[in-house]
Amino acid sequence: MYAFQYRKAKTLQEAVDWLAKDEEARPLSGGMTLLPTLKARLAQPSQLIDIAGLAELAGIENKNGVLTIGAATRYYQIATSPVVREVLPALASLVSTVADPQVRNRGTLGGSVANNDPAADSPAAVLALNATVITNKREIAADDFFQGMFTTALEPGELVVKVAFPLPRAAAYCKFPHPASGYAVAGVFIAQTAAGVRVAVTGAGASGVFRWSEAEQALAKDMSAAAIDKLTLAADDINEDIHGSREYRAQLVKVMAGRAAAAISGKK
Amino acid sequence: MDQHHHLFDVGGAHVARLEDLRLIKGEGCYAADWKLPNQAHAAFLRADRAHAKIVSVNTEAARKAKGVLGVYTGTDAFSAGYVKPLSMLTFAGKDGMKARIPDRVVLAHGRVRFVGETVAMVVAETALQAQDAAELIEVEYEELPVVVAPESALADGAPQLHDNVPGNLAFEQEAGDAAAVAAAFAKAAHVTKLKLDCTRVAPSPMEPRACLVGYDAGSGAYTIHVPVQGINMMRMQIATYTGVPDDKLIIKARDVGGGFGQRSIAYTEYVALMIAAKALNRPVKWVATRSEAFMSDSHGRANYITAELALDKDGTFLAMKLDWIADLGAYLHPAGPVSPMRNPVTCLNGVYKTPALFGRWRVALTNTVPVSAYRGAARPEIAYTIERLVDESAAQMNIDPAELRRRNFIPPQAFPYKTPTGSVYDIADFPGVLAKALKLADVAGFAKRRADSEKRGLLRGQGMATVIENSGAGMFPKDEIRLEVAADGNITAYSVSHSQGQGHETTFAQIIGDGLGIPAERIKLRQGIAEQGLIGNHTGGSRTIVGAGTVCSIAAKKLIEHATPLAAEQMGVEPSQVTYANGVFQSTESERKITLGELAAKKPLTVTGEGKFGSTFPNGCHIAEVEIDPQTGVTDVVSYVTVDDCGTVINHTIVEGQMHGAVAQGWGQIFGENIVYDPETGQLLTGSFADYPMPKAGWIRDITIADHTTFGTISPLGVKGMGESGCTASLGALANAVMNALRPLGVPPLDMPLTAHKLWQAIAAAKKGH
Repeated sequence: MYAFQYRKAKTLQEAVDWLAKDEEARPLSGGMTLLPTLKARLAQPSQLIDIAGLAELAGIENKNGVLTIGAATRYYQIATSPVVREVLPALASLVSTVADPQVRNRGTLGGSVANNDPAADSPAAVLALNATVITNKREIAADDFFQGMFTTALEPGELVVKVAFPLPRAAAYCKFPHPASGYAVAGVFIAQTAAGVRVAVTGAGASGVFRWSEAEQALAKDMSAAAIDKLTLAADDINEDIHGSREYRAQLVKVMAGRAAAAISGKK
Repeated sequence: MDQHHHLFDVGGAHVARLEDLRLIKGEGCYAADWKLPNQAHAAFLRADRAHAKIVSVNTEAARKAKGVLGVYTGTDAFSAGYVKPLSMLTFAGKDGMKARIPDRVVLAHGRVRFVGETVAMVVAETALQAQDAAELIEVEYEELPVVVAPESALADGAPQLHDNVPGNLAFEQEAGDAAAVAAAFAKAAHVTKLKLDCTRVAPSPMEPRACLVGYDAGSGAYTIHVPVQGINMMRMQIATYTGVPDDKLIIKARDVGGGFGQRSIAYTEYVALMIAAKALNRPVKWVATRSEAFMSDSHGRANYITAELALDKDGTFLAMKLDWIADLGAYLHPAGPVSPMRNPVTCLNGVYKTPALFGRWRVALTNTVPVSAYRGAARPEIAYTIERLVDESAAQMNIDPAELRRRNFIPPQAFPYKTPTGSVYDIADFPGVLAKALKLADVAGFAKRRADSEKRGLLRGQGMATVIENSGAGMFPKDEIRLEVAADGNITAYSVSHSQGQGHETTFAQIIGDGLGIPAERIKLRQGIAEQGLIGNHTGGSRTIVGAGTVCSIAAKKLIEHATPLAAEQMGVEPSQVTYANGVFQSTESERKITLGELAAKKPLTVTGEGKFGSTFPNGCHIAEVEIDPQTGVTDVVSYVTVDDCGTVINHTIVEGQMHGAVAQGWGQIFGENIVYDPETGQLLTGSFADYPMPKAGWIRDITIADHTTFGTISPLGVKGMGESGCTASLGALANAVMNALRPLGVPPLDMPLTAHKLWQAIAAAKKGH
């Protein structure tokens, strides 16, 4: 770890101001990605601006069919929130599969969404649920927000403040975790939304989270594992490394999609 | 009532560990916890490539960096003469071959040979300053071709690592009777042949390496705080490396957070720190990161074996032959090559009466992290080899695997049994162990469970391993335990054998308490106290309970013998008129009594017990049952049974804990742990826990543990070593269970790690073939 200055912001505006004045400063939320990166000396920020305690970034609210979660809300808080468990249990279940209890007690929804790790779980929920990412400047639709691995629509100085999830009729997430890291080797979030069935895939894509349109069409007609079985997922855009070939990841996407579909409909 | 059971009426079956409260309260003192006044901090610059000539090292910028006190390179290490590590590979190999031991300058000199090798050391006022300055060192390299696979390293035309190791072959040996084996194979009705890769793994103790070296210019003595498995082993290695005499090397350690063989080594960093401590006349401290651990702590296993078993038509084993390549990495750790050369030969026949055995062993050097002993130290590898051969033979010959084993077991009446390679197994009951395991694993009900799994779309398999191993004989002339009685009657015991988690504070106290008839809580064990000057082995090779443990009992007896005349004198009677029980000496002639504590209050009461005990032969049967999801390739171990014979059990809680940990390590290796290097560049591809899967608690739901005891004859306590037997048995049991599940699909024998990915591919390929 290189030396840096740590500052805890009292208000969102203060954090935004501090970040605007120093290009080398980085916002610190849960730190579950940033701190290991610093420890490995892979990043050298001048300052860490701690935004985890900001009131503007806190809170879970269910209003008018929209569940809004503050960016600094920790996974553990989401997983155990009675509101989330009641109105969007698939999200509570998703965050309870993130990493390990230590990480879930520190890591935040906003941090994960802003980081857009191609194997993170949260982006799949945001994309499949057609959520809106609310920043200090604007509102960004999920379809426009994720722009390839570790890349989002966020501009310099722009911070995720809240994520607003329109409540789906039904949703489910199935994940094949990496045995070492716990990240998704393949994670599939299926949501039956007002705009139709949406299927988001994380972990497997060569350029991060993506929507699987063939599956959306097939599941719109028949929400079942059998409907997925008939599909072929092109392996071209699938990630490959020492932990899994393209073919294996494509297979896992199908299996996880089938299981998520079956979890929604009860149909194998 | 057996005498051995009678010995342990104080301890009893399950005793909670005395050290745990202290450790879970954070009151342990690990290597990084030591502080010395005015200490400086070191950081190491490590090789970022696997094989290269060092053209130049420019340290100018680093020397000028803030807080920097000194920068040291291979030139400094070379001129200090810290060049030749200890080698225990002192015996002759094939045709009298002497081991070719490469030099290893503690900071690379002239050439680097693996990614992570120590190239330079920066010492500064703070660790951060040292780390920052290390990045300012400029090394100019000239790349050399790389070889990471041991078979490739031994091939003609391979890149050569060391001038004195032609062909990268550091050692070659043969054992057994080649002619008898050839004759047996010629008449065999069936031959089973397997190529078995016992993969390279990262032992990964929870405590990272750390070292703090102090130097006293007046006496020339170094004080070295470091994780150890025993201070004497560490001192011997450092003395050999540096030429500093034993009495100027004070090794200190208290708690050690995991060892597995990896903490027995005097690493280059420790020796390099001595250069800085002396040059600066200041204590110098270094604490490794986990990333450094992956690329510089010794790796384990890395043995690659081609094995053949010859059987007659009834399944009687006629002969076995092996061609064994041990990958030791870029340099030889002191005991690294000894494990795969010695331990497999000692138990080459396993639990079977196979009459003819032959093996060829080669030690290969590669551009990878040096390999050394890892829990089991080639005992798991030979057991895995034999047990995979036995199960494949059973399948190929359509004989029940338990029955095939039974037909070939050394029968109980044959002990003591001299093996074809000259070991003497003292006592065991293999059929009894197997029978108990078969019952606990409900082998009879397996077919029904397999059918149930099939209905759920899952492949079920069951596999076993029946194994034996030698516990370590120890390389020091004896083990000593010193007992010191305090005026309050509490006793301090001193030992060299050092716990890295094994629970010596409890078992030793139980044995001493049992010998003296006092509660174990009144005995406090102190380990790693250099000033005591004790002789003794480090903890390793499952030897501690046999060596130091037995000596605890001897020391207790000696204390009573020594104190009896002193008590008699105090009471004014003859020693023959004194009895001892439960900490109290009593006159048979009067009401007078005196306690151990009261005696110690009058004058210091200390005895040193000693003894030397050789190898024991713990053995056991493990049976694993798995369910494999053919859609994902994931294996779920649904049942795991162990039946072990480790002789007298001092403390069942500790024995079960050892078994849990060792089985989990076997589990980790079979299902995921695997160090992978890029074959072209020699870069480490699995250098963090994000890529290297350690076994996790949730994967292992339940282990049924039982024992089937024959009392060992080596130690008067009847104990046998047992710290490693869980690794030794679990590799084979788990792999056999997986193959049992997959074989009906036509899947050919697979190698570890049996990852979900690999199993899915194998299942998919087998389905295509149908």
